[in-house]
Amino acid sequence: MFQADRRDLACHLIRLDSPKELDHPRVVQVPDPDRQDMQFPDIWLRDNCRCKECYLPQTLSRLPQLWNNLDTSVRVLRQSVDVEQQVLYIEWSDGHASQYPYNWLRERDFSAANRQRYLSEFYRPEQKLWSGQNFEEVRRVFYFQELITSDSALLQWLQHLAVYGVALVKEAPLEMDVLRRLSNRVGFMRRTTYGEEFSVRAQPGASNYAYLAAPLPLHTDMPYFEYLPGVTLLHTLEQSASPGGVNLLADAFYVAEMMRERHPNQFRALCQTPVDWADIGSDGDLQFHNIWQAPVINLDAEGRCVRINHSIPQRDSHFSVPMEQVRPWYEAMATFVGLAQEHSCRFKTTPGDVLTFDNLRLVHGRTGYDDTDRNVRHILGAFVDWDIVYSRLRVLRNATAPGAP
Amino acid sequence: MWVQRLLGRSLGELRLGRQISARIVNESNIEVQPASGDKPLTFPGVWLRDNCQCDDCFHGSSKSRKLDWDRFDTRIRPVDLQADELAQEVVVRWSDAHESRFPLKWLRDRSFEERRQAEYLRDFYRPPTRHWSGAEFQEIARHFSYDEVMAKDSVLMHWLQALAVHGVALLRGAPLDEGVVRRLAERVGFIRRTTYGEEFVVQAKPGAQNFAYLSLPLPLHTDLPYYEYKPSVNILHCVVQTESPGGSNMLVDGFHIADILRRDHPEDFDRLCRVLVDWNDIGSEDGREFHNIWRAPVICLDSAGRYTRVNHSVPQRDSHFNVPLEEVLPWYESYARFVRLAIADSHAFKTQPGDVLTFNNIRLLHGRAGYDDSEESPRYIVGAYLDWDIIYSRLRVLKKKLHSDSDADADSELGSQ
Repeated sequence: MFQADRRDLACHLIRLDSPKELDHPRVVQVPDPDRQDMQFPDIWLRDNCRCKECYLPQTLSRLPQLWNNLDTSVRVLRQSVDVEQQVLYIEWSDGHASQYPYNWLRERDFSAANRQRYLSEFYRPEQKLWSGQNFEEVRRVFYFQELITSDSALLQWLQHLAVYGVALVKEAPLEMDVLRRLSNRVGFMRRTTYGEEFSVRAQPGASNYAYLAAPLPLHTDMPYFEYLPGVTLLHTLEQSASPGGVNLLADAFYVAEMMRERHPNQFRALCQTPVDWADIGSDGDLQFHNIWQAPVINLDAEGRCVRINHSIPQRDSHFSVPMEQVRPWYEAMATFVGLAQEHSCRFKTTPGDVLTFDNLRLVHGRTGYDDTDRNVRHILGAFVDWDIVYSRLRVLRNATAPGAP
Repeated sequence: MWVQRLLGRSLGELRLGRQISARIVNESNIEVQPASGDKPLTFPGVWLRDNCQCDDCFHGSSKSRKLDWDRFDTRIRPVDLQADELAQEVVVRWSDAHESRFPLKWLRDRSFEERRQAEYLRDFYRPPTRHWSGAEFQEIARHFSYDEVMAKDSVLMHWLQALAVHGVALLRGAPLDEGVVRRLAERVGFIRRTTYGEEFVVQAKPGAQNFAYLSLPLPLHTDLPYYEYKPSVNILHCVVQTESPGGSNMLVDGFHIADILRRDHPEDFDRLCRVLVDWNDIGSEDGREFHNIWRAPVICLDSAGRYTRVNHSVPQRDSHFNVPLEEVLPWYESYARFVRLAIADSHAFKTQPGDVLTFNNIRLLHGRAGYDDSEESPRYIVGAYLDWDIIYSRLRVLKKKLHSDSDADADSELGSQ
């Protein structure tokens, strides 16, 4: 507890009680003049000592010696704070002494509110789900040149993509290197068995279903990878003048939440039935036979949606589940596909547009189109992974908000 | 083996034109008896209709379903069945007036029998892993010749299979040029790029921003735990090894350590499976700044309780720890036990120039002893990563190819008789 009153500040250094042993054993309570006291577990403080023996500033990382035989019974012998310098001092039972600046501690305070703030503001922004019927509210346009030249525009774009899962970039030049320039602004492209960049246009006899002029129903790209590409970038070079070739997009997390609420049994079937996703073929010299077994709706340990797998063409005819699970899964899937249709939005990109969307979350498709010599459609595509996008977002955020970790 | 069944010609069967019988059961399913006396195989009608192989429903060159699911009716029923014994096919007429033909072999390969499905998953999808203790390392660590891996598909397949099952394999006799890891990766598929580029060089660099680039001891860890998509397999090519006593490699099977915890310390095991840890890496490479964070437990399980990944790195564990206060100390106690068990079980050996050490970074912990770095005693390792998606794909392609080659050999032997 904070014993000294304000009159003692003249001596700067304030002795604190030994760590509390009551509700939370071995917790160090640190007074913060302007707000609630901060709380830290003693073992965590010892593990995160900032001295030169314990921490290497050039790599911004913990030095490992302590962990060759970590003593978890280490105790605080003495603790004090220098309120003016804003530093916490601790002397440990293993003879070590540590000091921690307040601003560093504040960032890492174990209060529920602070942890929540850190996760939603810095780790990964909270997603906002939408129905296609409200797409106009979600739709946001960014301009290619601004993304290339302005860090704040870049941050806005990536933030919007993280929160809503879709963003439209306009006025990109009709050049082949647009996606590479955009990806390099973020980090780097994610290579797949189809290479780094791919070209979507009608190719009779194509070995991938997307390379045909037929309608392409709602799907996620490459569900047959354990490491599903995170963000799809589609650059329209030429658009079909026929009435077709319209883009379809739906927020499948929204659809999943709807099913969780209205069709709980079917929701469970889609979360629990492993489906074989597959792609067999070749691209250039590389032959592949990709398979990934996973449900349509993938949840994390806390039950939140983290990934959707859906592709009619890339669903394997092998279905490695007990007979009795088959029909219930089909019924649930039919509901899912129907709801995704119902809550999808439609629009048609024009040359110079780059459509960007979260491939773990959204399902996308296109209507069929007449492909003739005078009526071509040519889209270039590429992927960037979320690991890389979030990293960039954090770097941009730190640059614009000094004092962050 | 499942693959052999997949590709086997079954010439005898076809010539004999064995009698097939098929019937509708429970109004919606189909039961097929490939020949009298065989165990009947049952298939759900709705699945069969979904997998109709006709040109309207299936696109042959992309091997993809093209059935119109906007109009797909899950209440579909088979109304009539015929067995085409000459073609060895089952012909189904459906309540939507559509007709489908399913080759017997195609059906058998997709049997819903539990045993067949288990075989398919084990032999073709992903081989099951075998866990090992440090004392067993010499028995399980397979050696391959680099030249043979590059030249022979069968050796390539055996290397990748060993890597999948044991999580480690050593290639020997590689040339000492810097292109080895790329050539090897391209023999499989392609290099997995990370924040640190495609190939990386591990040598002592004073003032390095990454801990691995120092000559200090590098305790056991997994690489890049701060990625949601953690690189799967490490390829470490030893070009120059230090003359000093240090620089040894250490390896531990993290799944084996998890097995021990699960058996002997179930509370520690549960905690390490449940508590989300912030793994991070902040720095820059080639002028590009990064700030990677991924939150995940030390031991990651899938919904069936199987291991999917182990995360461990003392330097790359963030000082941010976003868990309730009261979970912190118990977690430290459990984690300290995990680390002690891993250190006690680690196997040390020293790679020689021309060795390429390959191991599963999702599963194994690796480290190295410190060494004296001087001009007379340098150490120079070139590394790169491969992803399991790409490795398993290659393994399946090789299994199909090698089995069909051996079938072709068998066919030509038959022909010469």
